[in-house]
Amino acid sequence: MSQTRQVFQTLCRMCDDHCAINVYMEEGRIADIDGYEEHPWNRGRLCSKGRAAIDLVYHPDRLFKPLKRTPSGWQEIPLEQALDEIAGKLARIRDAHGARSIGVWKGEAVGFAQQEDLARRFVHAIGSPNYFSNDSMCFNGRWIGYGTVHGAWSVPDYEHTRLVLLWGANPPHAHPNMTQMIMRARRRGGKLIVLDPRLSAVARQADLHAPIRPGTDGALAWGLIRALLERGAYDRELVANHSVGFPQLQAYAGRFTPEYVEGETGVPASLVGEIAVALARAAPAVVNYVGNGLEHHENGINNIRAVAYLDALLGALDCKGGNRLAEGFPTNRLTLYEERPLTDLEPIGAKRFPVLYGMRQECHTMTAMDAILSGRPYPLKAMVLTAANPAMTNPNTEKVRRALGALELFVVRDLFLTETAQLAHYVLPAASFLERSELHAHAMFQVVTLTRKLLSFPGVQDEYQFWRDLAHRLGAGAYFPWKNEEELTRWLLQPSGLTLEQLAAHPEGYPYRPVRYEKWREMPLRTPSGKVEFTSQYLKDLGYPELAEYRPPSYQSSPDPEYPFVLVTGARKLLFYHSRFQNIERFARAGRNPEMEMHPADAARLALNDGDRARVSSRVGTIELPVTVTAPNEILPGTVQITHGYRQANVNLLTPDDVFDPISGFPLLKALPVKVERLGNTVTPDSAIS
Amino acid sequence: MQGVIIGNSAASLAAAEAFRRHDRASELTLVAAEPGPAYSRVLLPYYLRGTLARDRLFMRDRAFYDGLGAQARFGHAVTRVNDRERTLTLADGSGLAWDRLLVACGTRPVLPHVRDLSGPGIHTLWTLEDADRLAPELLPGRRVVFIGSGFVSLQAAWAACLRGLRVTVLEVMPRVLPKVLDERGSALLEQRMRDHGVDVRCAVGIERIERPAAGTRQASALRVVLSCEDPNVDADLVMVGAGVRPNLSFLQGTAVRVEADGIPVDERMRTSAPDIYAAGDAALGPSVFGEAHTAHALWPTAVEQGHVAGANMAGHDLAYPGSLNMNVAEMFGLTVASMGRFLESGDPAEEAVVEQDPRGGRYVKLLFREGVPLGGVVLGSPEDLVVLAVLRPRIRARREGRLAHGQPLRSLHRTLAMQRSRR
Amino acid sequence: MRIVTMDPDSCVACRNCEYACAFKQAQTFERRDSNIRVNFYPEERVCIPGTCVHCEEPWCLEVCPASAIRRNPDIGAVEIDPERCAGCKMCMLACPYGAIRFDARARVARKCDLCGGDPRCVKFCISGALQYVEAEEAFGFRRTSFDAHLMHMLGKKGQP
Repeated sequence: MSQTRQVFQTLCRMCDDHCAINVYMEEGRIADIDGYEEHPWNRGRLCSKGRAAIDLVYHPDRLFKPLKRTPSGWQEIPLEQALDEIAGKLARIRDAHGARSIGVWKGEAVGFAQQEDLARRFVHAIGSPNYFSNDSMCFNGRWIGYGTVHGAWSVPDYEHTRLVLLWGANPPHAHPNMTQMIMRARRRGGKLIVLDPRLSAVARQADLHAPIRPGTDGALAWGLIRALLERGAYDRELVANHSVGFPQLQAYAGRFTPEYVEGETGVPASLVGEIAVALARAAPAVVNYVGNGLEHHENGINNIRAVAYLDALLGALDCKGGNRLAEGFPTNRLTLYEERPLTDLEPIGAKRFPVLYGMRQECHTMTAMDAILSGRPYPLKAMVLTAANPAMTNPNTEKVRRALGALELFVVRDLFLTETAQLAHYVLPAASFLERSELHAHAMFQVVTLTRKLLSFPGVQDEYQFWRDLAHRLGAGAYFPWKNEEELTRWLLQPSGLTLEQLAAHPEGYPYRPVRYEKWREMPLRTPSGKVEFTSQYLKDLGYPELAEYRPPSYQSSPDPEYPFVLVTGARKLLFYHSRFQNIERFARAGRNPEMEMHPADAARLALNDGDRARVSSRVGTIELPVTVTAPNEILPGTVQITHGYRQANVNLLTPDDVFDPISGFPLLKALPVKVERLGNTVTPDSAIS
Repeated sequence: MQGVIIGNSAASLAAAEAFRRHDRASELTLVAAEPGPAYSRVLLPYYLRGTLARDRLFMRDRAFYDGLGAQARFGHAVTRVNDRERTLTLADGSGLAWDRLLVACGTRPVLPHVRDLSGPGIHTLWTLEDADRLAPELLPGRRVVFIGSGFVSLQAAWAACLRGLRVTVLEVMPRVLPKVLDERGSALLEQRMRDHGVDVRCAVGIERIERPAAGTRQASALRVVLSCEDPNVDADLVMVGAGVRPNLSFLQGTAVRVEADGIPVDERMRTSAPDIYAAGDAALGPSVFGEAHTAHALWPTAVEQGHVAGANMAGHDLAYPGSLNMNVAEMFGLTVASMGRFLESGDPAEEAVVEQDPRGGRYVKLLFREGVPLGGVVLGSPEDLVVLAVLRPRIRARREGRLAHGQPLRSLHRTLAMQRSRR
Repeated sequence: MRIVTMDPDSCVACRNCEYACAFKQAQTFERRDSNIRVNFYPEERVCIPGTCVHCEEPWCLEVCPASAIRRNPDIGAVEIDPERCAGCKMCMLACPYGAIRFDARARVARKCDLCGGDPRCVKFCISGALQYVEAEEAFGFRRTSFDAHLMHMLGKKGQP
């Protein structure tokens, strides 16, 4: 290390893993980043995105000055002026159409916890119930699915498990840090079973990879339930004393014979039994982990609930080596749902998707698009959006662009002029994760870490500064009394008894609570009945089936001959996180970007060679992009996959925003009927292989 | 014990190092005809090309020999070896006693039977002295004829091309680089050479060299007269690369059996005379295919043989598994390499796996017998060498009676194709 | 000395190691700039990371006609000196692991030098397949794996 080089620890936020990092600085500038060995979460390892935070912070395209849209183009204006104008326009819109005509949208890039709660606080503080976020399409599927069954979504206890069962999850690309935990479990003799229509990166090391048709996971889950019940291999004590609805579950499971399951899912009947036996043998130390892959389906919630049932039946609920109900880090509450619930103002989507709103206080972004365009149920005129890029990542891009473009006031906060920012009236420069300090709890280990603000740029606000400045201009300053982010964090910490200084002295994470298992033996679960709910009265009261009934995906139950392929979107790439990091040149050049993955038999039938361009069409739209012909075991025949986030071939031009899981409101993104056509007579240079 | 090594090149240096690893006490002396310092013959074409400075040719300095505790007596050829008294005599009249002797004196170019192939303008390329003499002659626009299309010739031809000379290559065999490539490889290389403006003529007979009468105003200094109807070639200089042969007259009268092209040795590098070893270009050693005595004028083979000989001179007992005929060079924009046996012998159990892209100038061929690799040929880019490198131990394994798994290697070539793409 | 050990049972061919190495060598993510390569065989579901193992008796060092390859006395790494390398590629042909590559821009051979003792590939390996450990204990993790397997077979279902 050079004389002037200093090293600081913080947490990376290039994705949601929050790995602990060393940041090396020379004369106020970041010189290098690598993993911090002492933190139990990532043990010093880091993926390539972590190092590239430097590219992000110092990117030549990074915004440092507010931009205002004028007839002659973007104009840089001072920050104070921008905030004044925005507040003024918001006030006028509020006066004309009511506070609820203003929405706030928080995206993935700024994370959750206190950053999310600030956005929620702001929108309620100014009198609107309309908080939108990326969780209209992510995370909540599992939260709701698991939450209705046993009160909360669990965290996998990899360190002690004997069997890891992954459903539609690919840690190496989506949550890289989980990979080392899974591999450690395997080294200790644990087994890995991966259920995925694709041979994903993690599936390469699976002891069993069962390709399963998109959207049919519920059938397999029920098939496993039936197999376990048949063998009597379930936790009778838990079922007898801590569950509701077992007789209905037992009755419903009966129809999911291995043959039926094979017909639905494509997973061979013999494998259903094998997997059940493996589960039974390893029980209760079974990690049963569901990825985003199960959320974007017409029957997503009930498929997830059926998987959640397995946790209880295996006794793997909150047990060592299973799926633990983590205890959160206690902070002061930033949200205003108790002080100002505003539910009488009809939060957008709450009537349509009462569970999404009821359990998570999430408004529905796709409904918002219609509200903006139609003015129904009431006008939605303004949106203040931070850290999101729905013009790329929400379904039906064409409508999203129309809707966001139709707002009377659209304010976007970001590091770059994204596709969404280009539709805005005002674009404000936002702070990266290295320019703010926040609390993060790693639920798996129950340690809390304070991230460190290492840099600041004049005029670039962190999230707290921005919401505070805007709130004060809109008469809601009383809700934002803290002087700055640090004061806010101190206030958040009060219930824990910990101080900022204490946490700053523990960059390796501060254990806030010892990890405990099987808490449900002493305390009720956070379900209405306090028990595991195979049947949910809550859902029944809302008009949904009480049991996690299986419905086949419509591409299977009513196939459309015009669209013979099933499109899965959103499989992750290591180097990109949704639409982010496409502007890091070496990332964009590593590998084929974009691409459509296709089975060799399908490619051959369409006379498509690897690298040829194809046209893919759904009933919503069309794109053209190169085809990657996979090995025969890497994707199911008849299925194609396109990752989202590519400007050159935006798959959300194909995705519909009118097909949802009825409970979560999540859009159908992973089982779409499409057709594929060869484009022209392209010949690739490397085709002469003998 | 007195160890003496004749020679100061690849085999000798490897032998000296190996000797010292096993014997730190005995005396060790190296003698060589060339004055030194030791230089790398393999790098001479790079020097001619102009991409390597002359001082980078030298491999070992004074400190090397001192570090080994070895004496160096360079600049005097060995004139006589006496295996009864265990002495040898140098050209300056001095003598040396030895208990173990390693003959690693290398070879010299042979001139083919072409009349008047001598005098000004006729060059060979083997020693540093040859290179020093040839380098200033490689001027743009001049015409140079290469007799022989072996590795050394073609590398020098490439250097001449790069320096703007007009190049003709004459080869008596039907194709270029006949010992290093197979037919398809030769064809690809020939085409490449022609693309670079080289006049390639194979299957020619060369009769004699003419010098137009001195004092006349004829453009060229030399004329290469070819037999039959082949048109003659005028040239400013002629380079002969038609083979090498060791000069082993100093072994006359000893018990060392000597053949025309070298000294036969067993797999321990022992000659027929006790305590006398041979290694390198002067030796005829085993090949990995079971041939007992073949000539391998190859740097890596010399190093390997020297290593074995040196260790055995020190009392160790290493056996040389055999030469792999391994060679690589860059010429005419291609990396050209081969290893092992790559020519089909007509045995139906043999099969060739070929990958080629003639437009892109790529040709990779692996030869297998019942799934076991025998060798291969590569013309392409440096990355393609990996195929041959990975084959090395598997070819050797075959000789020791262990059959290597053929199956994974079949997917090797398919994977290579995939690896070249974005995977 | 410490070497980088590779566990094909943990590797998922995510290529973070290739990116990290290529970035250190040339600020790119191109495979051709990386000294470590992961070969992935999809049909066999095999991921094999491969890098130089810094042999005790390195073929490359022995065969180099330019004396450009030496062993670093501090960390034991076998290193190519690009100043001395003539680009003859003999070392590439000699290495049985194919661990030496050719830098077509600089016209020299290049190989792993253990990053001076802090190998990047290991730091960026998210699966733990790469470890930087003393050669004596290089594959000790296999013993642990085997013990777990044995315990399972003996009916002691492994430590939860």
